[in-house]
Amino acid sequence: MNGLKTNNAPHSSVVVPHFMFGAISFFIVAIMLLLSSSSLLEVYFNNKLIAITHMAVLGWATMIIFGALYQLIPVVFETALFSEKLAKFTFWISIVSVVFLSYSFWVASFSMLLPYASVCMFISLLLFVINVLLSYRKSEIKNWSSKFIIAAIIWLLLTELLGTLIALNFKFNFFTETHIHYLQIHATIGLIGWFLMLIIGVGSTLIPMFLISHQLNHNKLKASFFLINVGLLGIAINWFLINNSILKGFCWAFVTVGVLFFVSFIYDSSKKRMRKKLDIGMQYSMLAVASIFLPIIISSALVFSFNVEFELLSRIIVFYGFSILFGFITTLILGQTYKTLPFIVWLEKYKKLVGKTKTPLPRELYSEKIASIQFYMYLGFIITIPIGILLNSLVIVKVGSIALLVVAILYNINVFKIILHKVKPNKDE
Amino acid sequence: MNKTEIAEFELATLELLKTVMDPEIEINIVDLGLIYELYYDGKEKINIVMTFSTPACPLGETIISNIKETIKQKHPTFETVVDVVFHPQWNNSMVSEAGRIILGL
Repeated sequence: MNGLKTNNAPHSSVVVPHFMFGAISFFIVAIMLLLSSSSLLEVYFNNKLIAITHMAVLGWATMIIFGALYQLIPVVFETALFSEKLAKFTFWISIVSVVFLSYSFWVASFSMLLPYASVCMFISLLLFVINVLLSYRKSEIKNWSSKFIIAAIIWLLLTELLGTLIALNFKFNFFTETHIHYLQIHATIGLIGWFLMLIIGVGSTLIPMFLISHQLNHNKLKASFFLINVGLLGIAINWFLINNSILKGFCWAFVTVGVLFFVSFIYDSSKKRMRKKLDIGMQYSMLAVASIFLPIIISSALVFSFNVEFELLSRIIVFYGFSILFGFITTLILGQTYKTLPFIVWLEKYKKLVGKTKTPLPRELYSEKIASIQFYMYLGFIITIPIGILLNSLVIVKVGSIALLVVAILYNINVFKIILHKVKPNKDE
Repeated sequence: MNKTEIAEFELATLELLKTVMDPEIEINIVDLGLIYELYYDGKEKINIVMTFSTPACPLGETIISNIKETIKQKHPTFETVVDVVFHPQWNNSMVSEAGRIILGL
């Protein structure tokens, strides 16, 4: 066989636990949000909201991304993962660290628990980064998708390094500025550098693959890569050293145009797609790509917002964070779970049975009805919460939180239905 | 076996391979245009030249074993050799008329 590189996939025991813990974390996030809905209406740096945010970005989004990435490295890098044992070890240390970190924020133990929790988190993320970098070193393929992934994990490490320094500062007090100053840049490089870069890297491979579209203009990805990285680097340097509002505006414009190049790439992919009907996974994914315009509009407004009342500014920042974390990242992850997890499990259970017996299709491993109800409940959630935030209404935010809880329950039902799928004996035999 | 019989056997095998599905796209591999060539030596050997939509297709190995197993079920003593190539690169125009209808094109 020439050039077929499909036998590099890691064992499912490396990948599947990430989806399990991610799904459970998503449920915990929904519970935390229900217990502390008012935190969405307070200042953006309140401890409960930071606890929810860290559980969402690390326990939910990052954990699913880690699992998916371990599966996708062979596809994007065309090489096997450097070490499956290291990946398993990283998983266990990560879940302990995430719970420890979120608990530290939830109980506001900033000087007692938080510094230790952040060091644990930093170590676990560092192990992940090492594993991916060493896998990349073995790879002969240096395409744009892999460059996005490498840039993303470097930004992840910088985000976590800064987060750890902020946490250590609570104990040792060595920063010259307030925590809030550093918290903003920590959030910015985390959301744009880690999540956005990673999603563009993986999405630019997976979305055309699932839509079956070819002959796309990869120069758009190249432009997106340079613009986002240069813009983000500029934002970070300006934040720490220069603090010039015009430069800040320019840097945000770079990032925005970079994101628009990616959106344009996906739009081309959608126009050239062979598969006209979108399944539930791709409906979520397309909704996520479309919803990226919301944080772009809000961030542009924030960059040029002078003399805005602090209370209103705080609510706009919460809305901005919500639009990225839930409007974009969570929407995409919910969709891609339905595209990747059934395959991972299907391959494990049926790869030796194909041709010998009738096998189900991967999409038959979950309930499409539940996934469809979950989609509409999720739409309700992402519409309700921003209305609640902007109108400062706790009742509306509570309604939205209940909708998220229903979404999380339905999602968990389907995820565990897929993972616990059992091969049925063939009646024809 | 004469040339006509070999050609008929090859067509029948191609028809048999229509039972091998790409589980993601949910179309059989023949109508998807993944099979480039299929030769029968007139004895007990079938050679297949095929492609995938991407060199790192995660389902590649599974589809190949499905092809071999499907042929083995029908002709237990036969040897099937599958050669995967990426030139020419697979594209939308390789999908058959039946495949285009399934995809809603």
